[in-house]
Amino acid sequence: MKTGFSVFLAAFVALGLSWCGLVYGPLKQLGGAQETTVLQSTDKWPVQRTGDATLGLQVYRANGCAACHTELVHQTGAANVLTLTDIGVHKAADLKDFTTSLLGTVSELTTASNTVVANLAGWNGELPKVIYSGADDTVVSMLGDKFKAVGVKTEARVIATGADIARGWGTRQSVAADYLYDSPVQFGSLRAGPDLANIGVRAPDLNWQLQHLYAPRSLVKNSTMPAFRYLFTVKKIGAQPAPDALVLPKEFSPATGFEVVPTDEARQLAAYLVSLKNNAPLYEAPFTPITAAK
Amino acid sequence: MSDENKNCCSPETGEPTATRSSAPMWIIVVTLVLLFTGGLFLDSHSGWFDKNVYAPYQSREQLESIQPKSGEKQLLARGKAVYESVCGICHGSDGLGKPGQAPALAGSEWVMAKGASRLAHIPLAGVAGAIQVGGKDWNMNMAAMGAALPDEDVAAVLTYIRSSWGNKADAVTADDVKKVRAEIGKSPQPYSGSQLLKMPE
Repeated sequence: MKTGFSVFLAAFVALGLSWCGLVYGPLKQLGGAQETTVLQSTDKWPVQRTGDATLGLQVYRANGCAACHTELVHQTGAANVLTLTDIGVHKAADLKDFTTSLLGTVSELTTASNTVVANLAGWNGELPKVIYSGADDTVVSMLGDKFKAVGVKTEARVIATGADIARGWGTRQSVAADYLYDSPVQFGSLRAGPDLANIGVRAPDLNWQLQHLYAPRSLVKNSTMPAFRYLFTVKKIGAQPAPDALVLPKEFSPATGFEVVPTDEARQLAAYLVSLKNNAPLYEAPFTPITAAK
Repeated sequence: MSDENKNCCSPETGEPTATRSSAPMWIIVVTLVLLFTGGLFLDSHSGWFDKNVYAPYQSREQLESIQPKSGEKQLLARGKAVYESVCGICHGSDGLGKPGQAPALAGSEWVMAKGASRLAHIPLAGVAGAIQVGGKDWNMNMAAMGAALPDEDVAAVLTYIRSSWGNKADAVTADDVKKVRAEIGKSPQPYSGSQLLKMPE
């Protein structure tokens, strides 16, 4: 075979290139990932799971939760938003004219297509009022300064946008840093159920999680989730009822004289679910968190 | 040899052989155009494979421009957190200090100085010996509590003490702190009150 060497070389180059693109490139890009820092704070991210929550990942995996749930929030954009928070001594009507004139200059300044400038026609002074939302951060700081000069308080925020965020599944997209301590990572690919990347933010109560695992429809009407009853033991109430027995509504509770007690697996899974949080602002996924008013 | 094969191969060579022929020009042109447009797309959308650039962001610059500005509220929230964990143990979360141990920060002329340069020396290098605060004499032994903190945290905590408990003074930036840190150098020695007074505010 005269062309044997060329065929070998061509195959080697082709496979070598795919290896570079699929293995070496990503490894070079994210292989040395380390803890990062939460934006404008010294807190480390991600938070390492402890105890039950660590074991819970394996229960999540063993029960195939990732077959119906994802742990990945998508984001399609981001915007700088300016909100009026306090109009001080001004009357809404006066401020309306002032703001309209200001916003007139904004539309000349900005060329970004996704800019939303507030329509003040029906505004009669209710606060907070979003004035501007768009990609341009210079517009936000310009407007902020103009309002500050006349004694009007504004708040500039960065928000992430997208369908997942509108559904309330998160405040920002999931990034590689969120999965640093997950092994294996449970992305999932099908959303028969909701995304769970932030379930620990939405449902931080362990008992809620346990009851939901035992009887999903007792908490979420019309839920299509199967009940994971085998993670619980139904047993006869002894001299004393078990302290960790589930408190269930009548139609879901076992026969009189019996109680539902979570097994270790159920407890671990619930702890894991409560630990799922992708809610800290990071450099690669920035947003302005809502800070409690002083 | 059958009749069908007669036209295929000349009897002299017997076996058919592969010969070289050049690829059609249009394939080469199309490939080059595809590579070029691909390169242009990669250039504008890939963020140059930066590990911090995720879609929908397309470059480092775009990501930089969307970073939340640390507004006054955030700075104060952060300053408060740092204060409670580092300073508040002695100076008190109400800023009133502890008799014989730490002077009050509320209403202190050191805290509310015009510039923050002199004030920034205190957490970065510490104070030892006599110092007068609010008309009272103190004999201080304060370690360089802020030496290990990042510039942003020191700036945040100084801003916090300068605008809390009735104090009113300008905010402190991380650059201010950086300058003072460079001035102090690698091995900070605690200052005394008279040394501090010689510095510009």
